[in-house]
Amino acid sequence: MSRWTLGVILVLATLASVLLSVRLGSVPLSTAEVVGALGGGADPVVRDIVVRLRLPRVLLGVFVGGGLAIAGATFQALLRNPLAEPYILGISGGASVGAVLVLAFGWMAAGSWALPLAAFAGAIFAIFLVFRVATATGRAMDVRVLLLAGVVVAAFFSACIAFILSISPARTVQSAVLWIMGSLAGATWRSVALTAIYTTPAVLLLMGLARSLNLLAIGEETAHHLGADVERVKRIALGVAALITASGVAVAGVIGFVGLVVPHAVRLLVGSDHRALLPLSFLAGSAFLTLADLGARLALAPIEIPIGVITAFIGVPFFLVLLRRSVTTT
Amino acid sequence: MMAAGCSPDAPPPHASDSGPGTAGGATTEIVLQDASERTVRLEGPARRIVSLVPSATQTLMEMGAGDRLVGRTDFDTAEWAAGLPSVGGGLEPNLEAIVALRPDLVIRFAGSQDRRTPARLEDLGIPHLAIRPDRVRDVLEAVRMLGAATGLQAEAADLVARISDGLDRVEARVEELPRRRVAYVLGGTPPWVAGPGTYIHELVTLAGGDNVFADLGDLYAAVSPEEVRSRDIEIVLVSGVDAFDASLAPDARIHVVDASIEIPGPDLADAALRLSELIHGPMEAPASPDGGGVRDP
Repeated sequence: MSRWTLGVILVLATLASVLLSVRLGSVPLSTAEVVGALGGGADPVVRDIVVRLRLPRVLLGVFVGGGLAIAGATFQALLRNPLAEPYILGISGGASVGAVLVLAFGWMAAGSWALPLAAFAGAIFAIFLVFRVATATGRAMDVRVLLLAGVVVAAFFSACIAFILSISPARTVQSAVLWIMGSLAGATWRSVALTAIYTTPAVLLLMGLARSLNLLAIGEETAHHLGADVERVKRIALGVAALITASGVAVAGVIGFVGLVVPHAVRLLVGSDHRALLPLSFLAGSAFLTLADLGARLALAPIEIPIGVITAFIGVPFFLVLLRRSVTTT
Repeated sequence: MMAAGCSPDAPPPHASDSGPGTAGGATTEIVLQDASERTVRLEGPARRIVSLVPSATQTLMEMGAGDRLVGRTDFDTAEWAAGLPSVGGGLEPNLEAIVALRPDLVIRFAGSQDRRTPARLEDLGIPHLAIRPDRVRDVLEAVRMLGAATGLQAEAADLVARISDGLDRVEARVEELPRRRVAYVLGGTPPWVAGPGTYIHELVTLAGGDNVFADLGDLYAAVSPEEVRSRDIEIVLVSGVDAFDASLAPDARIHVVDASIEIPGPDLADAALRLSELIHGPMEAPASPDGGGVRDP
């Protein structure tokens, strides 16, 4: 498939999923009501549902889904590992420890910003820790060390979470599990604005590094011979991808599979030229997460199921098919 | 006053099974049918009790059997319980700690969440009694059963009367009042609310509220925020530490309640009273002298 064809399809798919997600929800509304609410009229309840609950939530899905997918594509290129995904450096573990600490100590009372802030701090701490380990071994950043450090740090964080939860009341465990599984339900215009301000330049920066990522994906030595400033590109791209992931985790919890599956799917369709792969992954991630959230809201409405359940239910079969296909073609 | 004592509507089906055993005369053996449908035989009234169920611990205390308790769980946080050794959690407790306390009866949760403990107690030859403090009716049932197990039937009947009387007064009071649309939120994002299968739903209903989430199929469930916004809630009761986004219910009164009311126990009439006061405003004075009269004996 041509990258332009896929680009047009994905732009349309993202727009369609946004419109559909604003139109549909657990409270049934008519198209006229939704349009009326967007125009500022209508009943205050309908207006609140459309303008203050659904719209920010859908837009947050666009930025978080896109951000996770582009971060995943970047990690897969830099770590040259098909299993790489945004959380591979222990970011989800760090963020979860932050969130669980807030829940366990009742710091939620301090304000609704306490949990995202702590999750973000935890994610940044994990990134810092892993990068320090990976750069301490020598002058150059060794991606194998980075991977191993990420796995080990993640294991340490999950032990921390298990420990905190084992001494917490059932209610805290419940809240923590819900948070860890991810949800866009907490979206507000403020969280959308923060995520957008944060994600947009990061995404543009990564797309600017697309050519260097193409070289790096072949191999660091080759890239070096072809004139890429390997160390600089690696550090900037890893840092930026990690920060995108950290902001996504902070506002939406740990949403798995978007960052793993979406870049692979796009790569299968248009190849691994990062000049196309990165923007198309962003679009596909946006559409995928927005639709997954719609599924999470509608499947058992009025009950909401964790969005991570939907992304995994779609992501796992897809990934297995992908694996089979890659085995049979080689 | 005696009429109040007879008011518990249903005859106590399980605890009454102990009647023949205890009334047998020569033998003091107590035979009970517990909440997991097991027949429990005790050689006599239990004297060394390890309670794995916090509401049972509290019930025993209120029946005047506090001195028979030799062990509690980490969840018994009342001051008077602090002196007792803890055996860990109510589910999957520390068995060594239980054995070391040489109990002649262990009170445990009925149900399948912890299959290991009853099996191990069985192996160890320690009598155990399952109770199921899930609903209002269960609480009264559990009081009667604990009364039978300790030989304190009269005290248990008295406690049942006190609880029933308290509930009757709350019900009588809210009967004439308009019912209010109530949501009970336990926090979380998305909001985690109490559904129709919960004890808290029963309590809210008793206290003159209509649970706006009575249509949920579950005990507790996370619902879409727009459901909270669209259900014309008059009163939001928020428990626990998670912040509730007040803009989801801009027209409602929001009260923070202590999560302890979610645990069914012998103080359930007080809990119902507190909820009714949150829903309908403070209860008028004349009701209290009556209550004092029942409480005194």
